[in-house]
Amino acid sequence: MSSKRHSILPSASQSGPKPPVHLSSSLTIADSAVLTGTHQITVHGESVIHPRARLDSHAGRVTIGRRCVVHERATIGSSSSGLASARSSAVLSSARSSMASPGVLSPTAAVAGSGGEAASQSTTAQAVTLGDYVTVEVGAVIEAGGTVVGDGTVVGVGARVGAGAVLGKRDLRHENHCTLTPQSAVPPGDVVPDFTVVYANGMRRTDRRGMVELKNKGLARQIEVLRRLIPSNPAKFA
Amino acid sequence: MATAFTPYSYIQCPCSDITPTDRRSGGSPTTPEPDDDDRAFDPRAPRSSFSLYPLEYLMYCEDCHQIRCPRCVAEEIVTYYCPNCLFECPVCVGPLAVTSVETKPDPNLLAAPDNSAAPLAGPYALTCSYCLWTSTEVGIQFDKPNGIHAQLAKLRNGGTTRLTAKERKERRKDPSYKAQPPPPDSQDLDHEAQFANLKAFYQGQLADPNTADAGLALLGDLGFSSPTSLSRIMSIYTGGSLLHDKKAKTRLGAMREALDPDEGLLVASLDESAAISKLRSEGLDGTASTAQLVGQPPNMVEPPLHGNERFLDTLRPVPHLLRTKRSKRCPVCRHIISKPESKVQTTRFRIRLVAGSYIPSISIRQLALSSGTGSGTSASGPAVPGAPLEPLKPAHFLLTFKNPIFETIKVTLGAPATTPGRFASRVTVLCPEFEVDANTDVWDEALKNNAERDRELRRRRGESVSANSGGISSANQLEVGKIWERGRNWVSIVVEVVPASLALAPGNPPLREDEDVLEIPMFVRVEWEAEMAGDEVGAAPSRSNSEAREKRELAYWCVLGVGRIRQR
Ligand SMILES: [Zn+2]
Ligand SMILES: [Zn+2]
Ligand SMILES: [Zn+2]
Ligand SMILES: [Zn+2]
Repeated sequence: MSSKRHSILPSASQSGPKPPVHLSSSLTIADSAVLTGTHQITVHGESVIHPRARLDSHAGRVTIGRRCVVHERATIGSSSSGLASARSSAVLSSARSSMASPGVLSPTAAVAGSGGEAASQSTTAQAVTLGDYVTVEVGAVIEAGGTVVGDGTVVGVGARVGAGAVLGKRDLRHENHCTLTPQSAVPPGDVVPDFTVVYANGMRRTDRRGMVELKNKGLARQIEVLRRLIPSNPAKFA
Repeated sequence: MATAFTPYSYIQCPCSDITPTDRRSGGSPTTPEPDDDDRAFDPRAPRSSFSLYPLEYLMYCEDCHQIRCPRCVAEEIVTYYCPNCLFECPVCVGPLAVTSVETKPDPNLLAAPDNSAAPLAGPYALTCSYCLWTSTEVGIQFDKPNGIHAQLAKLRNGGTTRLTAKERKERRKDPSYKAQPPPPDSQDLDHEAQFANLKAFYQGQLADPNTADAGLALLGDLGFSSPTSLSRIMSIYTGGSLLHDKKAKTRLGAMREALDPDEGLLVASLDESAAISKLRSEGLDGTASTAQLVGQPPNMVEPPLHGNERFLDTLRPVPHLLRTKRSKRCPVCRHIISKPESKVQTTRFRIRLVAGSYIPSISIRQLALSSGTGSGTSASGPAVPGAPLEPLKPAHFLLTFKNPIFETIKVTLGAPATTPGRFASRVTVLCPEFEVDANTDVWDEALKNNAERDRELRRRRGESVSANSGGISSANQLEVGKIWERGRNWVSIVVEVVPASLALAPGNPPLREDEDVLEIPMFVRVEWEAEMAGDEVGAAPSRSNSEAREKRELAYWCVLGVGRIRQR
């Protein structure tokens, strides 16, 4: 029944190479999540990866901090062509990567596969790093390319973080807490100060609620529920 | 050409008929009536745009058996309400929610999962869930989560409380308070307080004209500061007879003006250096936009002059406007055709007679036909949905009529052979008369005994060769008088159009907006048999008995927008 219901969506196939992973034992990762690429994918403790979420390490290393939630059809580490609109990016990026992997991206892949140390520099330059307590909502896209999403940041439904953008201060303390409202975008390379709210077609303001603790508590509670709801299968990706 | 065209069907409400409904009942029209059959409906006539509605906008009166539109129904207010005493965000106009401001830090946040599911306690703030604005940004917090409006009226930006007019009056009466002089700080005078003080001062002046100030005696001669003119002016603004003192007319003594804040004097603060230095530090991003300032309610709480509401951090929550729920009545028989639940919280309706559950819906789709099919009818090329129509080349459209009622309906269509307007396209309805089966329950259909079902299937096949819908199929044929396809409660028929050329002879005015849209006026007559009056049309039919049934009929014009004609 459920497969019929989802039939309008393209099937999230496990196409492309299987990346080396480092998954925390306390993490929750759905069976139908997609981990693809050639660089290391690291997910720290108590984070939740929803079904059909996509972690793509073709361009570089993907690191996800503690107590993060990556929702359905969110893409972390998509190649930064910037062609796809945020709305259809989940669909497009899966198609793109499957097309592009033999051609454009294979040199990097070969280097990374052969010598880990030699490739480490390009790995960090093209990496995606998520701090702790980061929420990436449905269909959001975080492009690869030295992109940093600071602690406590919420990337809203269908939002897009451009390649190399930095949300919050570069040193990942518990001080970042940016919010991208649904369908908003941060252009590539942009550095967004702590507690910035990006809303309404690129408007920005500062979050002065001072609700960091409350927000983090709420997220912790949400993770508690999700852990019971989502059957975790980390063995599949190991 | 920029955007793909989406076909549409609009229905004309009978209320827009020039001759009113009494025509059928044989009323005596004073003017000679034009022959109705000759008067084809012109969807391009300027009046038409006021009478055409999508089916979803229309209502239906069960007593008059007639379509009713938003223009002809009578509305009555069921309830007034401000939606749950809500407030809007002053920054982004999103709705604000009351949230608890919890300041207690949790040191072991990441290590230990939160175990205190304690109910949220105060203080409370209004928070926007979209742009994350919060009333604490202007220093406003609430002790209680309810009665926000009353609490807000007592709070100044920054959180200091103020006296309401009532409290001030009580305090003035209180002798213990009167003994000590009020603080002379004019900044404490907000809009309300200043007006109250001024009013009290002038009332005192009126009562005692002998305290006339000598310095203003000269003006007194001109009548500006006389109690008479003052009472006239005051009565204009207050509208009351409070100050209307007949005896005062004879008095010409001059009055003095307010001299201190307690009398309502407010000195304008012209020192704007604070605002300028704030602008320097915060920049333009810190200032409020014109739209945000316009959205602010009149702030009765702050001092009225200078320096207010220029910066984002002075914006206050905006109360929602008053709303109403309305019921709708039939204009002819006064029966209620729509009535919402009066409770504010519910979105349900007690009565809601929408046209969509009484008259068939019409959906339009262009048909792709490979050449050679059909019986001699020329066929169109491959149809790209929404693509422009080629002039002078026949195109075919599939009209699907879906029957919402529990009776079989007979549909008769009439369309002028050519569309009205400057560009006459030819229109042929291949099957203008057909029956659409009742909207029976899907399970009824499935549980019918086999013989009955077979009979029905045979009947369906007899009229149309079953085939895949819409595809290029040799089974479906463009035959005059034959329907294209039939389903449980729907029937598809084909309309052939030959779009006119949009070429204009020299000297003619250029193409008007949307004049390239091919619109087909179509007269729809629906006939069915229903149980005798008193029963609802929508009631389930009782098949077995042969009760007296009456014929019903509904006829109306509609317009079908099928596509744009390609311009050269
Ligand atoms: Zn009407
Ligand atoms: Zn209210
Ligand atoms: Zn807001
Ligand atoms: Zn009526």
